[in-house]
Amino acid sequence: MRPNPPLVRYGLLAAPIVFIAVFLIGPLAVMFAWGFWERVGFSVRPAFTLEHYAAFLDGARLFVLERGLVVAISVTVISLLIAYPIAYFLAIRVKREVARAVLLLFTVPFLVNYVIRNFALAYLLSRSGPINRALIDIGLVDKAVDWLLFSDFAVFTGLIASYMPFMIYPLWLSLAGIDRRLVEASWMLGAPPIATFLKITLPLSMPGVFAAAIFGFVGAFGESAVPIILGGVGYQLMGNTITSALDVLDYPLAAAMSSVVVAMMLVLLAAWYMVFDIRSFLGKITRWKFRP
Amino acid sequence: MTARRIGFWLCWGYLGLVLVFLYMPLVPPFVFSFTDKVGGGPTLAWYAALGDNRVLMGAIRASLLVAVITAVITPPLALLAAMGVRELRAPRAILLLVLMPLFIPGVSMGLATAFFFQQLGIAPSIWTIVVVHVMWSLPFAFLIILTVMATFDPVYLEAAYVHGAGRWRAFVDVELPLIRPGVMGAAIFSMILSFNETVRTALVQGPWNTVQTYIWSSYLQIGLSPTLHAVMSILIALTLGLVTLMLALALRRGRRV
Repeated sequence: MRPNPPLVRYGLLAAPIVFIAVFLIGPLAVMFAWGFWERVGFSVRPAFTLEHYAAFLDGARLFVLERGLVVAISVTVISLLIAYPIAYFLAIRVKREVARAVLLLFTVPFLVNYVIRNFALAYLLSRSGPINRALIDIGLVDKAVDWLLFSDFAVFTGLIASYMPFMIYPLWLSLAGIDRRLVEASWMLGAPPIATFLKITLPLSMPGVFAAAIFGFVGAFGESAVPIILGGVGYQLMGNTITSALDVLDYPLAAAMSSVVVAMMLVLLAAWYMVFDIRSFLGKITRWKFRP
Repeated sequence: MTARRIGFWLCWGYLGLVLVFLYMPLVPPFVFSFTDKVGGGPTLAWYAALGDNRVLMGAIRASLLVAVITAVITPPLALLAAMGVRELRAPRAILLLVLMPLFIPGVSMGLATAFFFQQLGIAPSIWTIVVVHVMWSLPFAFLIILTVMATFDPVYLEAAYVHGAGRWRAFVDVELPLIRPGVMGAAIFSMILSFNETVRTALVQGPWNTVQTYIWSSYLQIGLSPTLHAVMSILIALTLGLVTLMLALALRRGRRV
């Protein structure tokens, strides 16, 4: 047996880590730095100034931050309420192969560009769109409902449609990984189904709930296209406020706002990392049959 | 019917409703792209006119090129990451690092990468687009390959070592054939994600256009048109086609094992 030189082997295994370190950590570091740098014309110069954070936090943009938080938290909670029953049903009540097929069905719309899907949603929700026509035809309303589009309702619908489908997957992963004997033991000891759910299933699925929540929250919080398509003129969330700072070439301001979003994500991710074992969220797929 | 069975079918009903809500937006682009603007009758004119749009054709070529390069680069990287994770017995920090691109909003990632390249003096090109696409598809490809690798029993590798194979031979002759469907699936998945990326791409594209950024900038400048609906229909059809291909590969694997 001729073992490969360890240098080559570890070099290969380290390649993806190096790639991520250079093209993920590197860019994030530059972005954090630029948030503190001076703006010179259309470019930036190394310095340490807090003026961009000040411009962000004391102007009308503070309102954007507040609204962004409210919208992102509400969307995350609603999406969890929609997705959890689906994941639970697929993990507990349905055969594994059927569950996989249905999960794929939920993945397909997530794969189709969400910008395209949101254009279509804008049409479906518009004054002359099919939903309004149907409402009028069945006599529920006399004239077109105009809060369907360019409203909080529209933005919420768009954000949920964009991010909820992929939240089902981590929920399902953690629910499917639960040892069924724990649930059975709870039944046998006489606990009613609701108590079993609250005391056994729900706590054990928390790694998945948290992963899904971070995914949904960060997605909705940093979203830039949905408020433009479905919110209408002047509907600002963090994402499109950042792109509008870019449009006027104010790079440090865009960097500062984007840093706030990423910092929030990092805090949530760190909390997730401290509280849960990521491997338990990934369930069976990281439990190899290791030999001593 | 017992209450339990009624509950079971109610659950399916609920699931169906959510699926209808998610699939509904896939229909309108097809309707608009086949409808004549004047008479409202069916027409193929919008599709026929696509070939004359040189900017769009350039964008399609760029998209295809980027998608193919992404599909070639991402799976080996994801495979190496998955093997590294197994080798080191699933260290949590590395898992977190590989999954992190999932949790970064598109705007922040695109902007950070654009600033990064600007800082290094690297001009936007096909390759700056490829970098953000690979980064975006890497965690998905990683999860897919990890799932398939979990079904592979490392005892086969031990057997290969016992019979004198080196690590490389054992990997290429024993493990790779068994996990190949996962690697193929990861490649197709990366290609789908690459085709459907807008926000990150728009910030690092420079003078280049992909189909998605072409659609987005046309929408911002002049609004939607039947031509754009035709392009979007093609993209939806292409995505559904690739998903079907991925499903077919998965089913073939299911039959063989």
